Amino acid sequence: MEKIFVLTHVDESGTALAKASLEAVSAAVELAKSFSAELTIGLLGADVAQAAAQLAGAAPKVLAVTGQAFAQPRYATDAAACEALVKAAAPTIVLAPSTARFARVMAGVAHRAGGAIDTHITAVSPSLEATRWFYRQRIEAVVKRERRPWFLLLDAGTHAAYSATGAAPAVEAVAVAAPASRTTVAGTRSPQQGEQTIRPNAKLLFVAGAGWTKKQSDGQVHAADAEKLILGFLHAADASLGSSKSLVDQSGENQATLKFMTHLNQIGQTGATPRHAKGLSTCCHGEEPHVVGWRFVNERRAINLDANCGWARGKADVVYLADAFQVMAKVNELLEK
Amino acid sequence: MPNSFQIVVCSSLVPDPLQTLEPVAGPALKNEMMLPAVLDPWAACSLYEAAALAAAHPGSKVYLVAMAPKAKLQQVMMTVAQKVPFELVALDGPLGGFTDAQSTAAALAEAIAAIPALDRSKLLLFGGWESASRGAGVTLQTAGELLGITEQFQGVDQLTVRDDGQLEVLERVEGGRHQVSLCQGAPAVFGWATGNLAEPRNSPQMGMANMRGITPALMKAKPVKLDANGLSYVSAAVPKQTRETRLVRDMPAEEIAREIVAWMAE
Amino acid sequence: MSDAQFAVEGQTIERQTMEVDIACVGFGPAMGGFLTTLTREMAAHPDDPALQSRVMPGMPLQVLCYERADDLAAGVSGVVTAAKAIRQSFPELVSSAVPMLAPVKNEKVLYLLDPLGASKRSVALKAGDLLLRGAARDHAYELPFTPEFLNKHDGLVLSIGQFNQWVANEVMMTGMAQLWPGSPVSEALIEGDAVKGVRLADQGVLRDGAPDAGYMPGMDVHAALTVVGDGPVGPVGQSLDRHFGMPFGNQTREWALGMKMVVELPEDTPLTEGTVWHTFGFPEPEIFGFLYVHPERLASVGIFVPSWLKNPQRTAYRTLQHYIQHPYLWRYLKNAQMRSWSAKSLAESGTHGEPYLCGNGYARIGEGSGSTNMLTGSGVDEAWATGMQLAEATLELLREGREFTQENLQATYVARRRLSSVEQGVQQAKNARNGFQTGVVTGLIGMGLAGLTNGKLAVGGNIPRADQQIAPLEQSFSAAQLEKARAAVQQGALLQDALMDATGWPPIEYDGRILVSHQDALLMGGKVQAAPGFADHVLFRDPALCEPCRERTCIAMCSGQAITEGDGRVPAFDREKCVHCGACLWNCAHSTDGKHTNVDFRAGAGGFHSAEN
Repeated sequence: MEKIFVLTHVDESGTALAKASLEAVSAAVELAKSFSAELTIGLLGADVAQAAAQLAGAAPKVLAVTGQAFAQPRYATDAAACEALVKAAAPTIVLAPSTARFARVMAGVAHRAGGAIDTHITAVSPSLEATRWFYRQRIEAVVKRERRPWFLLLDAGTHAAYSATGAAPAVEAVAVAAPASRTTVAGTRSPQQGEQTIRPNAKLLFVAGAGWTKKQSDGQVHAADAEKLILGFLHAADASLGSSKSLVDQSGENQATLKFMTHLNQIGQTGATPRHAKGLSTCCHGEEPHVVGWRFVNERRAINLDANCGWARGKADVVYLADAFQVMAKVNELLEK
Repeated sequence: MPNSFQIVVCSSLVPDPLQTLEPVAGPALKNEMMLPAVLDPWAACSLYEAAALAAAHPGSKVYLVAMAPKAKLQQVMMTVAQKVPFELVALDGPLGGFTDAQSTAAALAEAIAAIPALDRSKLLLFGGWESASRGAGVTLQTAGELLGITEQFQGVDQLTVRDDGQLEVLERVEGGRHQVSLCQGAPAVFGWATGNLAEPRNSPQMGMANMRGITPALMKAKPVKLDANGLSYVSAAVPKQTRETRLVRDMPAEEIAREIVAWMAE
Repeated sequence: MSDAQFAVEGQTIERQTMEVDIACVGFGPAMGGFLTTLTREMAAHPDDPALQSRVMPGMPLQVLCYERADDLAAGVSGVVTAAKAIRQSFPELVSSAVPMLAPVKNEKVLYLLDPLGASKRSVALKAGDLLLRGAARDHAYELPFTPEFLNKHDGLVLSIGQFNQWVANEVMMTGMAQLWPGSPVSEALIEGDAVKGVRLADQGVLRDGAPDAGYMPGMDVHAALTVVGDGPVGPVGQSLDRHFGMPFGNQTREWALGMKMVVELPEDTPLTEGTVWHTFGFPEPEIFGFLYVHPERLASVGIFVPSWLKNPQRTAYRTLQHYIQHPYLWRYLKNAQMRSWSAKSLAESGTHGEPYLCGNGYARIGEGSGSTNMLTGSGVDEAWATGMQLAEATLELLREGREFTQENLQATYVARRRLSSVEQGVQQAKNARNGFQTGVVTGLIGMGLAGLTNGKLAVGGNIPRADQQIAPLEQSFSAAQLEKARAAVQQGALLQDALMDATGWPPIEYDGRILVSHQDALLMGGKVQAAPGFADHVLFRDPALCEPCRERTCIAMCSGQAITEGDGRVPAFDREKCVHCGACLWNCAHSTDGKHTNVDFRAGAGGFHSAEN
């Protein structure tokens, strides 16, 4: 008989659960239901009283580690807290969201618990087979583990967030002495470019390819126009900005570059594989190694001059054979209205 | 020596990024030994960061603990050796990403613990936050645990040594932001994202100097067999994600713009 | 430490120097033969004082090899070779050791008819085609036997990428030589009449070569012996030819571009490993083609586009696409998947293009030294043999304590080479292809004559320079065809495509598998990449010559579409797409000095990253 435990943590506000935590909860509830397993929830944060209300109706038992020492994400304290929670719950299956906070510590926790761990899980079947990607989203595999406890770190956006039903659950405190740590967390810092960077919560991902800084039909490079058009669109559409590797790499080649582009914007290859409802690719060839970063973008459209680009061969839903400079200028005009 | 570090960089080898990958039974990559390999790109970033840190702190030393089949390691070292100075600790183990991360971590930790004269109080354990093969983000943390290091950071983009010896660390967190932490020196674990350094130029002299240590390290590379750790594969496949693409030709820019704006609003 | 200093933003950056015993340039089959032979002997006799380093006392000879490509496995050829010399080095060579290796099992020669009627065929050829039509199957006539000179008895089908990778491992495992990929060498260091080593390409420079962030002047590597094996378009070989000139009467005037893909054949393919087909006749009569079947349903299929195809708008990629769609081949290829793609210039002059094989402090081996047999169309084994010969000579000189002077190298290396059976074959083949300058039929007759008489008889020929082999547009196309093509170019088509369309070649229907756009071939096939920080390695010597140029052959023949129409009339070059095939070097109709074309092809980094070639 499996015993399922889902680990969650409060978000930065300190009063609510991180969205990814609620997604893990619904995955756990579903799984527990499918083979009538017992479900326990673990909760981590300085004060969990308010956040625990979001777990109403999910599980008969909520365990929590609280206290100021656990307010901020830090390896030593988070690992100790999760270790204690797992020990108290004595589960066979541990689900947890792949937040930055838990991704940092969960391998260590699994090690301490004598368990096995698999990460970036996108689905868990009722027969306890877990799906995940290998080789930068190029190969999808389904894995099983004999060893218990088995930790599964779930990717964000793969399950619907749990919504509470009924009264707030009783929370059982698990006492943990905060371990000595030589680390203090000073807070967070946003990149100076701020609004031009990746916005994981945006509905639309806008990807700019190297074509923006190449010679246009008049034989000239129009990097300044490109910048204006792209920034204009991002402001108007509240979109997240991504880039192809070749455009990000251009800074090293001293070609005309878009000043606000950094490696944080890169999609595919060594870059990110974000989840967005929609993606619009512009001036980007759409070849496989680059498009792997689009694996989790649901609806895809592309603007490209080449009818034979990768997008046109089954990678996008719609490809507009057109000059992105002209189209985006018109799009911005419409959005401004 | 004040503020000197013993930096151990862990890395695997992965297929050169533009290669076509296909799984075969096992699972394993088809023609795995044929594909050109490179040092894992995130681990490579951490190696360059390690070298820059060591250069800025005299008395520091960089070790590269790399696991792959010996012949592949030898090939890849001919490129990596030209980049930055390091001492190689070679493990003659499997190449692929379908192996168990915890078993990999155990092999790495054992090799690190066996490095002669390694001063653990100065140890900074570096590597990529994930690999481009398994991409689990498990190996480095586990190796850290096995070595008893509980100051750990993942998705690191920047590490600055302050005048007072404290390490200021920037880790990638949600929302395209960085978490800023201060750590009171070594030992600590750093799983690097891309960092901020460009790939160093190929230096033939660097290569020659590194090669003096690399050849003997390869010769005494220990064979490593990884435990499956209860892991089995139900399937591994390249997904068929071909979409029905609608090609729109000869539509005026204005009309395309209207269509796109309408689609965005859906 | 330095012979030159450079100032970047107030900083002085010195050019480093390094002393080694033997500096080698270019890791291909010739260098494989050289290093295999040399390092085996060094490893077998570690205490031999003659094999100790002169520059690093107490150490073995310091032998370094610099390779331009980013990976030693990035060779560009799928070949069939008689492998006689290679087997001398590796008597037990088996396919389990080297992926994609297969013994030749069955070999045939096919004359391909033109089912489309689009190729340019002489009246004589058309008459011949009519006669053969009855005996042809799927528009191909199978020669009843393979001429002896083409036969690769006991030969091997190889991937040069995989073979190089394996040889490199064998060499490095001895610990006696270092092979450095990603290290372009820009030129030989020449002092007076002696070569003193090589200079590596500058890094951290702008496109025009000016210092930039991270500037690192290319190191000078000093060596008692410099071994040059950088192929027919290699910058070190070129720099030697510029300085020392060529032996009287010798010049590389004939060239071909080999372009091919490695494909995975369908699961139900009837083709078995070791199958070797040589073809001629289609897409143009001058174009030879091949299909070699490797193990595991992989096959190399490709063509050679020669300089004597006078059409200025020759384009290898589109031609290759028509080739694989010839009905005889398409039966087997239509459900195949492209796995790799590549291109390479081949010096087709054989011994006509032989440079000085050695001089004070240097020796040349391999294709760039004129070792290719133009009759058998074989170069890999011959190259390997020249490397072995130089290694034996080097060991002899070291053991006898003699210097690497021209005289000594002549007496040891060149003497060995002249006596070898490989050389005899190359000499017999010397004039085998002369006839192609006159026409295909004459060319084939000339080859036959040379082949059947061991080179005693051949068709004579006056071979013009490569630039003079390119005919004006009007000679290759009618006014109507040119007019039609120009209209298509106005609409954004590429001139070479527009002209093929205008002459009756059907458009290519892409299938996303084996018929893909040129750019996809670069990405999916060649995996072409280039590291930043190197200067452009293709330059147009005199822009004034590009201004009036109407042939635009460099653009049409660029294997990677790296050369395109630029702002003005001078073509633009994108080094990230360059595959280093060197086609631009000989696909230019203009010469600045009566010796060189207007394209300067220098040392550059990047290119193919596919190892299945």
